[in-house]
Amino acid sequence: MSVTPVTTPAVTATNVVLSGRGLHKSFGGNRAVNGADLDVSEGTITALIGPNGAGKSTVVNLISGLLPPDAGEVRLAGEDVSGWPSHRIAQRGLIRTFQLSRELQGLTVLENLLVTPIAQKGEALVNIFLRPRAVRREERANVERAVEILRDYGLYHVRDNWARALSGGQKRLLELARAVMAQPRILLLDEPMAGVNPALVDQIGDHILKLRTDGITVLMIEHNLGVVERICDHVIVMAEGRTLATGRMSDLRDNPEVVHAYLGGVLDARLDS
Amino acid sequence: MHQFWLAVGFGLVTASVIAVAAVGLSLQFGITNYINFAYGDFMALGAYFAWELNAGFLHWNIWVAMVAGALLVGVFAVLVNQFVLGPFARRFEKIFYVLIVTFALSLIILSLVTSIWGADVRRFNMPSENPLHIGPFLLSVDQLIVIGIGLVLMVVVHLLLTMTRLGKSMRAMSDSTTLAMTSGIDTRMVTTVTWFLTGILSGLAGVVLGITAASIVPSFGETFLFVIFAAVIVGGVGSVYGAILGAVIIGMVTEISAVFINPAYKLDTSFVVLILVLLFRPSGIFARVGKA
Amino acid sequence: MAPILYYGFTLLFFFAAYCVLGWGLNLQFGESGILNFAYIAFVAIGAYIAGVTSSGPPLPGSGQSYVLGATLPFPLGLLAGGVASCLLAVLVAFIAFRRLRSDYLAMVLISISLVMYDFINNYVPLFDGADGLNSVPMPLASTLGLNANSFLIFFAVLTVVIGAFMWLIMSRITRSPLGRTLRAIRDDPDVVSALGKNVFRYQLTAMLIGAFYAGIGGGLIVEFSSSFNTSAWTVPETFIIFAALIIGGLGNNVGVMVGAFVVPVLFTQLPKFIPDIPGHPGLILNLEGAVIGVLLILTMWFRPQGIIPERVRRPDRFLARRTVAAPADAIDADQVDATASPEAAAVDAETVR
Repeated sequence: MSVTPVTTPAVTATNVVLSGRGLHKSFGGNRAVNGADLDVSEGTITALIGPNGAGKSTVVNLISGLLPPDAGEVRLAGEDVSGWPSHRIAQRGLIRTFQLSRELQGLTVLENLLVTPIAQKGEALVNIFLRPRAVRREERANVERAVEILRDYGLYHVRDNWARALSGGQKRLLELARAVMAQPRILLLDEPMAGVNPALVDQIGDHILKLRTDGITVLMIEHNLGVVERICDHVIVMAEGRTLATGRMSDLRDNPEVVHAYLGGVLDARLDS
Repeated sequence: MHQFWLAVGFGLVTASVIAVAAVGLSLQFGITNYINFAYGDFMALGAYFAWELNAGFLHWNIWVAMVAGALLVGVFAVLVNQFVLGPFARRFEKIFYVLIVTFALSLIILSLVTSIWGADVRRFNMPSENPLHIGPFLLSVDQLIVIGIGLVLMVVVHLLLTMTRLGKSMRAMSDSTTLAMTSGIDTRMVTTVTWFLTGILSGLAGVVLGITAASIVPSFGETFLFVIFAAVIVGGVGSVYGAILGAVIIGMVTEISAVFINPAYKLDTSFVVLILVLLFRPSGIFARVGKA
Repeated sequence: MAPILYYGFTLLFFFAAYCVLGWGLNLQFGESGILNFAYIAFVAIGAYIAGVTSSGPPLPGSGQSYVLGATLPFPLGLLAGGVASCLLAVLVAFIAFRRLRSDYLAMVLISISLVMYDFINNYVPLFDGADGLNSVPMPLASTLGLNANSFLIFFAVLTVVIGAFMWLIMSRITRSPLGRTLRAIRDDPDVVSALGKNVFRYQLTAMLIGAFYAGIGGGLIVEFSSSFNTSAWTVPETFIIFAALIIGGLGNNVGVMVGAFVVPVLFTQLPKFIPDIPGHPGLILNLEGAVIGVLLILTMWFRPQGIIPERVRRPDRFLARRTVAAPADAIDADQVDATASPEAAAVDAETVR
């Protein structure tokens, strides 16, 4: 399949804050990612769509550093971060969520958020014993910020519950809230609405829109094309481990290769949902 | 140089012992996806069952006692999986629960063996013979039989994995249990059979270890465990063929090292190999994707 | 004085010592999720180093041989043991913690413990092999003019004091943000890494602090008993500490204390009071291990959280500003009944999976 790029004004070379070039990743004999390219502009909400097995989750794993790419390059705000371990990439402001909610089960909901800030004073032995006041002050500030986010996401009333006791929808919200607490510059969301009821889908969509107004760049894997059309500025289509097309959802709908990748009629059905 | 070749001969014997043990461990790990920390004690159990049949009142030939002992451990392993390990593995998502259960089993088996047979050194009842000169090697008949057992078992396991439906099911489950289940493989049955096999192999390994070491004590399997772990890790955890290769490497290194250093430390050299592998190629030689 | 009194103080000593050992392993395992099956090796190093740095050089004709015959006064030998254990932790962490799954790590750790045991047993010049150290001077005994009996009582009480002090330190650590991050790593290291924290550095910290506790515990044991050899640190000894933690309750320091009482003290001592079965001397003692193992399996099945379950921590209880609950709280897309008891949820959630 050839790549037919459909460029839109949203993506220009100057404001690309995250880019991947020629990414490859194989597992045994399986080529999960086979030459994927992507560009994400600052301050936009970009969707990464494609049929199952297209390699979307793997690309996200490569970009976030969970897996090292076999070949290719990842750039974050111009800096080459290919093959960096995930904690270093996260320190540069790129935070990701997971497709299956990975709440920290042995912690409460509130603690899940409090664990997020990177270099907390209270994590250093020296501070714990010699500067307890400074530690307490920072804790207080973090707690206030966390509580605000929890209220915003409707999780305040379960803040002292074990995170594992939450319902599926609440866990999705927690996954997002925790990422927001990390004050990311770029947020990678892996199917943020997976398995969630329709009312919550809209709610999560609204939260993501609000992130954009806060200046956060979002790249999200999403299957629900209605959602994509509602909130995303830009769309990247992947199939068989490669980037197939990019552009606005409305333009891509008419792109024969994109339609073909989704096996014809299935694409139309999803757009009506 | 003469010493070197003698050592190579002994290396073949040690490699066979380790290989039988390591393959048993690898087969079970491939299917269940957790390490059985009581494996060394399974080996000891096999040795003591065989001892009871051989040097106890039945006076069976050691090789017959070995097979019988191994079968008993196989049954024991199936029961342990059925009533203890299986339920824990199914109930808890976090792996450490079942690992600690195997750790507990290790102590339970050790205590029971010590209670029943005592802590004194025991020996198998075997005719003592003079070693034979086979090429550059100097090996006794028993040692040759042990090498033979190793070879035969490797071939049998290889044929099992490649030619039988059971073997193919095992390989499928080793790659992905969920995929295997959806392909219609009876995972419970395969798991049970795998435990039977790992029990047999561990029992055989315990007896041949007792034969080559010429003595058994209740903890001798446990203290040998690090050698088996070294072989498995060097070869690549999860790979049966890696386990065989690792066994050969470790077996050779330990025996050849005895030429240069005090033989009391020869087993410790396997640990040195393990460290080197961990530093330079942590996933082992035949790294299995998804297991490392 | 009645022998029962000395017995009681001996138990008190071992209770306190096992508490220290337990808190160390709890930080590594209960809080950070590191399956350190080699823990007893760290205890042993602490004991050996504390012993040889307090004993002075081996006397010729005593049949003993060991390295480092210094004669450090009391707390220094103990601290040397703690430091030695930390050095082992650094070595182990840098060799074994590189991207290894928790069960492979456990394999390597237990191998380290077995190899150390084998080597120290065989290489006599190091720590006198299987005979071990056996004339470690009783600390402060000469300065305080104590004989063996009064020293026993004195040192038991001293150990309790040291234990209390070490409890305060560990409490501070586990209640701090560091403790919280360690617990997060226990639950899901990938997530913590994806949030920007260097997981290895935290694991190293947990290993170091835990090893220090192990070393101090070992040092206390050798200075109380005046002797220490390889039979004191076989694999079952690591198991007993794990059993104490799990039965007492993982992830909390009080649970450690309960466990330290129940397992190493109660369970290893009770069999001594059961009369031997005629014709089978020593059977009861041998079965002890089996009983502890069975007890552990039963506990993990029926009450996995242990006697004292890990409690909910509420960082906002004293810190957050009191605000009126905003109306937004009432609007939740998911009308879920927040589970009343976090503890019930704990057991339920484990079984649900």
